[in-house]
Amino acid sequence: MHIAEGYLPPVHAAAWGVASAPFVVHGVRALTREVRANPESTLLLGASGAFTFVLSALKLPSVTGSCSHPTGTGLGAILFRPPIMAVLGTITLLFQALLLAHGGLTTLGANAFSMAIVGPWAGYGTYLLFRRFGAPLMVGVFFGAFVADLSTYCVTSVQLALAFPDPGSGVAGSLAKFGGIFAVTQIPLAVSEGLLTVLVMRLLTQSSKGELLRLGVLARPQAAERREEAAA
Amino acid sequence: MLPIDAAAHSSRWRRRHPVEKAALGFGLTLSAVCLPPWPGALLVAAATLAVLLGPAGVPGRQLWRAFRIPLGFCVTGAVPLLFAVGGSGGPVAWAPDGPVHAGELLLRTASASLGVLLFAFTTPLSDVLPRLVRAGVPAPVVDVALVMYRIVFLLLDAQSKVRQAQAARLGATTRAAVWRSMAGLGATSFVRAFDRAQRLQTGLAGRGYDGTLRVLLPEAPVSRPFLAATGGLLAGLVALTLVLERLLP
Repeated sequence: MHIAEGYLPPVHAAAWGVASAPFVVHGVRALTREVRANPESTLLLGASGAFTFVLSALKLPSVTGSCSHPTGTGLGAILFRPPIMAVLGTITLLFQALLLAHGGLTTLGANAFSMAIVGPWAGYGTYLLFRRFGAPLMVGVFFGAFVADLSTYCVTSVQLALAFPDPGSGVAGSLAKFGGIFAVTQIPLAVSEGLLTVLVMRLLTQSSKGELLRLGVLARPQAAERREEAAA
Repeated sequence: MLPIDAAAHSSRWRRRHPVEKAALGFGLTLSAVCLPPWPGALLVAAATLAVLLGPAGVPGRQLWRAFRIPLGFCVTGAVPLLFAVGGSGGPVAWAPDGPVHAGELLLRTASASLGVLLFAFTTPLSDVLPRLVRAGVPAPVVDVALVMYRIVFLLLDAQSKVRQAQAARLGATTRAAVWRSMAGLGATSFVRAFDRAQRLQTGLAGRGYDGTLRVLLPEAPVSRPFLAATGGLLAGLVALTLVLERLLP
């Protein structure tokens, strides 16, 4: 759920833009360094961004019977790391605002903060935590995608609650109101996105092992590393 | 192609400099957000619609098809403002000024969305992205965005064909089949995106690619009369809002 154009009051829109800026600037620096060191990675990063965009065009069957689309932030963060996702996610949000009338430009900062920053960092952190404790890849992937999706919507609820406090119970009541509405749809959707991401990752480990090794998602077997070192 | 981008490529204002259209579209959006919703947002919406359907020449049906998406989000987003929770009226009650706030929000979001649509319907992204370098965006980021823009349409096209093929092979008959099809579609998009990137890389390497994607842009001088008219329209809207705000209830 993107916050629609003009939905946030001007001060809130500007404040979320300012909050997002350091993360996006950090991501831009990381991306610029990467492209300057390896010019051919421009194409790979462009393809990654395009993949993130089309992932949000997938219609996901929801447990409630309706349809929604995955945020793609969990899979993106696991594949490309959160700093790069901050940039790719922001460009994707810009494209969605201008090509699909989905989201907006005055709300770009708020949407970037939830979808391109908090979602990827929370999802990637969860994924790393599970992997560090020895969980299998697919368990880490499921919880990474689940947490990324859910945290995105939690932050969106906070953003909406701060912008529109409840007349009776203030920000806390508004948070309960927006959070309650999202919880009905988003908890099942977060589970759905986790499952879909596992299925996608399972197919990728079969069909695109080379790319996953290059992206560092799969560890290179030690024997192969030794052979490469010996050859070098 | 996506409908908005296709309309932008054949727009009457296609050859105008993006700065002119950005000043008009984003100026109207900012006015909608910053002015009081009543009567400001209503006046901005009327002016934007007049420009869209008049001088910009955007077909009404295309505009409605694009506008109904954000409008749906605006309506669903305004509904929670009608209710208050946990106050003196009980766990859930009608908010005292709920309809007024919801109406104002609806006016503001609808009006602001029209401003962005004015820019989107008249300016293809391929005209905007290369010019962002002059606006201070680092060239590598612009290059990545340009590659994204080129590949997105190919992937969406491939995705639609794969979806048709899956449906023809009974890939959407049961819930389990839908899940398998979705996963296959996601993985295929990934594989195709990387395959396309590798093929682009090979093609560009053969043409002496040095890390910079150079794009030729058609010459389009910035029209001062257009910018002056934009300034006049925005100033007029602000003045009219401030006057009407005192006169209207």
